[in-house]
Amino acid sequence: MFLALREIRAARGRFLLMGLVVMLVAALVGIVSGFTTGLGNDTVSALRALPATHVAFATGARSDQFNRSLVDETTVTGWRQRPGVEAAPLGVTITRGTTDRGLEIDMAAFGVEPGTFPAPPVRRGTGLDAARPGLVVSGKLAADGVRVGDTVTVDRLGLKLPVTGVTDDLSYGHVPAAYLPLDTWRDIRFGVPGARTAADRLPRDASGVVLRVKAGADLTAADRALGTSTLPMSKVLEAAPGYKGERVTMSSIQVFLYLIAPLLVGAFFAVWTVQRAPELALLRAIGASRRRLLSYTVMQAAVVVVAGTVAGGALALATGLLLGAAVPFSLPAGTLLATLAAVALVGLAGTCLTLRRVTTPDPLTMLGAAR
Amino acid sequence: MSLFLSAVTVTRGHGQTRTPVLRGFTATFAPGEVTALVGPSGSGKSTLLAVAGALLSPDSGAVELDGADITRLSDGERTRLRRERIGYMFQTGNLLSALTATEQLLAATYVAGEGTRRHRPRAVTALEEVGLGDRLRHRPDQLSGGERQRVALARALFLSPRLLLVDEPTAAVDRSQADAIAALISDRTRAHDCVTVVATHDPAVIASADTVIDLDAEP
Repeated sequence: MFLALREIRAARGRFLLMGLVVMLVAALVGIVSGFTTGLGNDTVSALRALPATHVAFATGARSDQFNRSLVDETTVTGWRQRPGVEAAPLGVTITRGTTDRGLEIDMAAFGVEPGTFPAPPVRRGTGLDAARPGLVVSGKLAADGVRVGDTVTVDRLGLKLPVTGVTDDLSYGHVPAAYLPLDTWRDIRFGVPGARTAADRLPRDASGVVLRVKAGADLTAADRALGTSTLPMSKVLEAAPGYKGERVTMSSIQVFLYLIAPLLVGAFFAVWTVQRAPELALLRAIGASRRRLLSYTVMQAAVVVVAGTVAGGALALATGLLLGAAVPFSLPAGTLLATLAAVALVGLAGTCLTLRRVTTPDPLTMLGAAR
Repeated sequence: MSLFLSAVTVTRGHGQTRTPVLRGFTATFAPGEVTALVGPSGSGKSTLLAVAGALLSPDSGAVELDGADITRLSDGERTRLRRERIGYMFQTGNLLSALTATEQLLAATYVAGEGTRRHRPRAVTALEEVGLGDRLRHRPDQLSGGERQRVALARALFLSPRLLLVDEPTAAVDRSQADAIAALISDRTRAHDCVTVVATHDPAVIASADTVIDLDAEP
């Protein structure tokens, strides 16, 4: 560190400038990462919260499955009878409502059978009851002002649902989730606005069958027999509207930032190495090994890159705090650390592009013989 | 400890333009003595320093330091030899711009892979010996040309090399500084009992040398 730190001190203006560039790149990567996670949570946190391993959809639904797929009761029963499988129907649809205090809300209505495993845990109030209609709302809706005891009237249908409980901050397709009994969900999904449809006239369908599968269960045979297409939860997330597109967009931005970072750092150290070529030649002349020149150059790069990256991480965190709940931004410690480690690594990789030049200055140039 | 060059030949250029710079040069250099290499530009003074200092391999001949032929060493071995047994003082560009005078000397221990902190008192003493006790925290751009050369001399001798190679030490300083540097080189050579070879045009350096080799007169 002897020479590395003293050179940084002597050329602090240049190194500060480079550190600021690294900091801004790291901050941008951190912020994009925060939006990626935040948007992801906003789109699929309700799906991630399902205590399930798979979801079976109708075979014909190949994209946006929660909208397109419908499975009937026979299919659900069929899945329940498969060995090694625990199954429960799930209905998902996005709707709107108004509370009795005049608060207009959007909600992703998740229809579940009360008492089955997809039913949500409740933070406040009581859970769903098969005997009466009710609504367990996401903490996000509670934060917007929906309270236990309120009654939500579903727009156009006039269906009145008392809020009985509040669950975690879950959402689907950027809309806060609200859980209700499957029969009530069918009213919303299949009901005709302005016309009351008797419950026994509504289809007994659900969007899909949520599964908890034990090892050894034959899903392929079950799909073939029941006319379904089963997806693991990682693929189920892609069934949420916009999820895949958002991921691709945000990941593309991140990839470009990861490409830009090493080029910036590499360009700086290339110029820096050219500028100090005479001093590198002097060091070689007085006996510095190539390894020593490399190690102190890498040390310099590490100081700049790590300091810039840490500062960038702090800036990203501060940005997240400033944004607050106004936008979907989430930067957990693990994600932040992984992101910053990646920025630091690609930054150091950029330095490696210039390392050959560090060892090439000829010590003979120090003598008049070479001038 | 002695330096012995035997039938050293160095040529420059390629093909038809290949010309000899040194042709069969032979000489012995004794410890505690300053040998001045003189001759017009292009006579091979700096080339001889480069060969003796393991910076350049001759086309033929031998360079023996303590009886071992250094022309047979690998690149890594020559680097270690320069680090451990040879001190250099160049005409210009001797110092690292980021370091103070004291740190210039500590750079030698850093290059040698040793810690720097424990050598600091000795570095201060070494600078005081060359008359720079009041310039310890000055950087190169805060020193005069003569002061820079004195720092370079102190650094060249800091790790007690057996061979000190000096290239035109007074070329970039005024007369009074040149005289002082010439005297200092002789003084330090005797104090360290090292072999000192100086390439120079300067009458003051030539006058203070124990031996003078005129390369223009070499066959």
